[in-house]
Amino acid sequence: MNIKKFFRQDSVRRTALVQGFVVPETSRCVQCGICSYNCPINIDVRRHAWLGIPVKDSHCLTCGECVARCPRGVLSFERTHLFAE
Amino acid sequence: MQRYVIVGSGVAGISAIEALRETDRSGEITLIGDEVHNYYSRPGLAYYLTGELAEEYLFPLSRNDFKNLNLRHLQARVVSIDPLEHRLRLNTGETLNYDRLLIAVGASALSLNIPGNDLAGVVKLDNLEDARQIIRLARKARRAVVVGGGITALEIVEGLLARGVRTHFLLRGETYWSNVLDQVESGIVLHKLQEEGVQVHFNTEIEKILGNRGKVAGIQTRDGQRLACDILAYAIGVRPRIQLAQASGLKTNRGILVDNQLRTNASDVFAAGDVAEVYDPFSGRSVIDSLWGPARDQGRIAGKNMAGASAHYSKPIPFNVTRLANLTTMIIGTVGKGVDHDLVGIARGDSETWRQLPEAIAAQSDFDVNRLRILVGQRTLLGAIVMGDQSLSKALHHLIINKVDISAIRDRLLQAGAPLASLITDHYLKLREADARTLH
Repeated sequence: MNIKKFFRQDSVRRTALVQGFVVPETSRCVQCGICSYNCPINIDVRRHAWLGIPVKDSHCLTCGECVARCPRGVLSFERTHLFAE
Repeated sequence: MQRYVIVGSGVAGISAIEALRETDRSGEITLIGDEVHNYYSRPGLAYYLTGELAEEYLFPLSRNDFKNLNLRHLQARVVSIDPLEHRLRLNTGETLNYDRLLIAVGASALSLNIPGNDLAGVVKLDNLEDARQIIRLARKARRAVVVGGGITALEIVEGLLARGVRTHFLLRGETYWSNVLDQVESGIVLHKLQEEGVQVHFNTEIEKILGNRGKVAGIQTRDGQRLACDILAYAIGVRPRIQLAQASGLKTNRGILVDNQLRTNASDVFAAGDVAEVYDPFSGRSVIDSLWGPARDQGRIAGKNMAGASAHYSKPIPFNVTRLANLTTMIIGTVGKGVDHDLVGIARGDSETWRQLPEAIAAQSDFDVNRLRILVGQRTLLGAIVMGDQSLSKALHHLIINKVDISAIRDRLLQAGAPLASLITDHYLKLREADARTLH
């Protein structure tokens, strides 16, 4: 991979990251752990849900695995509107 | 230094300990529990059974988290409490003195009192050991019969199904969870189960469990029908574990009676979670429930008060999100039978508008069934069931929990063929815009 391509990919990823992050709705959560189990980079999403804080971990890929797999609809993406037109 | 004792290692107990530690860094905390696995997500057992979750992920707290809470953990059973002396005795013979005590021992499954219930292969789903046993049995079993109702019965059914066991589900009547779901909702759930391969038997009551060499071999129904099976699972309800409190002279009804600070009638003794019976302003009487959220909230308030605060617990409108036959289902407020005549129930089908909420990115997919039922009061919405797509559930949750005035849309909601989803969504968005303007 050439260096330009590498930086472009990284830039796309980081843009996606700052455009939105995963936000928990604590009252729905029963701490089952499916979110943490399915996180490809082992972020403890469940802990975020317990504490009611968004997943702003700089490593979060915003891949959506946790959002899609939560059986109780605890997690959603929230937009930051940083790049809003 | 204060000595705090927490009996019960479920979410209420853990939440109390976290609250205690926020206020009192140095007090001595002893956690006593008879659960060999300590604190884990009891609702998570459903997903452990289906294989969606590895066992080690059931535990929300790591060893390090426990270390940071700075507590002494005893795996033991409390056999007696002497509230006057502020002392309790364990099954190990040890006695402990406390300054403040929390009883958060939860509820346990009612047993199935029919002939044959002592056979190997008769299971329930009350704790992690039960889940492990079901998984062990399912490796060899070909057929299972499940009796009971509510969420737990379905958790067992779906767990067995996911593990390749042919499953029969016995219902005494013609509907499932009939005091919460209406006929249509029950029909949706049962139809989905049947599609997944579950054999649902209506108007069928189990009479006895048949055995062969000490193991389950089948069941016999009251009308004489026999079904061969290797597993008989039951989920017929839970009961708060109040025996210890009763024997110790604490006031109990169906649960341990507590005031709005979660204090029992004995000084310095608190109760929280499934074992506590709490005044419910919604219904005007004291109630028990078995929900994770309220157990956590009660634990937190009890913990604060044990550390010297005077925090009040106000029971919120009951709310749960669960999965019934693979359909995410939100249940909130008054939805069951026996409701006030001031209520008007509305039931409707699907709407694409549900998926047009700006902040909602659907967390579920492939739903082919949606169901919305709302209960409209004079000025507010009093309850709702949302099955399947959950795009609308956040708005409904907000409107119901905060008792938001819906007079402006009430008449339109009650019209035949009303576009419920867009009416509710528009009303919710207008409120949010108004809130945002106030903030700025």
